[in-house]
Amino acid sequence: MRIRNVVQLHTVNKLQAFGWPLIIMSLSLTLVLVIGALIVNVGGAEAREGMNEGMQYSGAIFALLGPLIGFGFTAMGQYFPLALGFGLTRREFATGTLLVFLGNALFYAVIVTIGKVIEVATGGFGLSVRFFDVVYTGLGEWWQTLIQTFLLIFTVMLVGAAITTAFHRWGQSFLWIFWIALAVLILPVVAGFLISEDFRAFAGQVGGMGWVPWMGVILGFAVVGGGTWLALVRRAQAR
Amino acid sequence: MTAISTTGLTKRYPEVAALDGVSVALEENRIHGLLGRNGAGKTTLMQLLTGQVFATAGSMQVLGGSPVENVEVLSQTVFIQESQKYPDTFRAVDVLRIAAGAYPNWDQGYADRLVEQYRLPAKRLIKKLSRGQLSAVGIVIGLASRAPLTFFDEPYLGLDAVARQMFFDDLLADYTAHPRTIVLSTHHIDEVANLLEHVVILDQGKVLLEADTDELHDAAITVSGKATAVDAFLAGREVLERKTLGTLATATFTPRDGDELAAREAGLDLTPVSLQALFVHLTTANTASAAAATDTHRASDRAIV
Repeated sequence: MRIRNVVQLHTVNKLQAFGWPLIIMSLSLTLVLVIGALIVNVGGAEAREGMNEGMQYSGAIFALLGPLIGFGFTAMGQYFPLALGFGLTRREFATGTLLVFLGNALFYAVIVTIGKVIEVATGGFGLSVRFFDVVYTGLGEWWQTLIQTFLLIFTVMLVGAAITTAFHRWGQSFLWIFWIALAVLILPVVAGFLISEDFRAFAGQVGGMGWVPWMGVILGFAVVGGGTWLALVRRAQAR
Repeated sequence: MTAISTTGLTKRYPEVAALDGVSVALEENRIHGLLGRNGAGKTTLMQLLTGQVFATAGSMQVLGGSPVENVEVLSQTVFIQESQKYPDTFRAVDVLRIAAGAYPNWDQGYADRLVEQYRLPAKRLIKKLSRGQLSAVGIVIGLASRAPLTFFDEPYLGLDAVARQMFFDDLLADYTAHPRTIVLSTHHIDEVANLLEHVVILDQGKVLLEADTDELHDAAITVSGKATAVDAFLAGREVLERKTLGTLATATFTPRDGDELAAREAGLDLTPVSLQALFVHLTTANTASAAAATDTHRASDRAIV
């Protein structure tokens, strides 16, 4: 199996594979630090505390996670046709790409975890800001952040690859079915929130079900996304 | 030994049969021309032979095995296709690095020389390359990979005449030094006619002709002279194409023994038909007969109604 060639395919341009995500993350972190410094200097202790609490939900970390979400899409949309062009088999591509997904998820999860440990240890870089220690990457212990971030990145890559492969195979009709199915799932939830007190209570219970069950949900998405992708890629054709 | 053989190979898409019962046998270590009009099925045939798409029916053997998911076969195969997509963030140098790792016979020194020769800006983003420069990327990979089985699908789109000639010279020189099986699909038939040793002409997904180019020299000739003399000369024979200009006429036909002497006695000139002209005659005649068959079907359908 020519796995090394597949890994090389994904990582040959180091700046694109690793450089830009880290550069964009650094820029986003810098911006958060500047905002934090301004708020602390202008607003005082009360503003500092409010900022620290509010920033639990800050999406600034998606400056890093965002491009990684797209990685699954480009793996199938752009790298798969080239892999076939280089005479690599679908099995080799799937195995190599899965390893790259795992490696990427682990690499960036470690970066985020190190960032979180430093952030917590320094009291939000001395400014009470939150960049790494947010709900999306886990507010608990460092190992929870490591696992959660790893699972999150790995899952979105698998789901992205599955969606692109399905689109590759069935074209626009898949997208119509996908969006309609998504709407059928989301609309009742939104309606339930709007009109039913019981539903809101139920949703609250689900939301507060704890870290482990939530990781199980993410893992479930990973299994479904990965299983779908691996099943479809075996019969995927060049376009 | 046969490098490629197919039997009844068929590829159907929902709207069209891209290939319909194609059976060919291509010998190893020769340069084969795959000719056909747009949509004839050339690219589809090459995609099937390189395992990029799956056949609807029929069978194929490439280097002794099925190419589908076959590492042994595919690692000896390079397919340079005109429509190859590259990731947006890739530079030419990235593609060449991957190719260097993917092909066991890769010659880096040769690749570097070709990059220089075709003036390829290797560090520029692929998406910013011109059509001709994109073709040059494929040519470098196709030649420097030295794969035992090399497919070139319209490899020189956008290249100027000088670069095209350079490609033909490089291909022939490297093929001579490192013999391998080359399948070349092209529209520039006259430019490659001297390179090709064997030709497959596809039309509307079917094999219209498969022959060695030596045999094709005698496949058709053109007779010209007074229209009445040309008509008398060809009376009762199948004519591939006939043109009239005033009292003069030219006609292309399949020759037989004694034609040369008979033409001379009738005061007519005989000239050989180029591969491109033969291709045009054959595909035009096939299109015309297909149209006639369709008309006949429609007429009989109307008669039944």
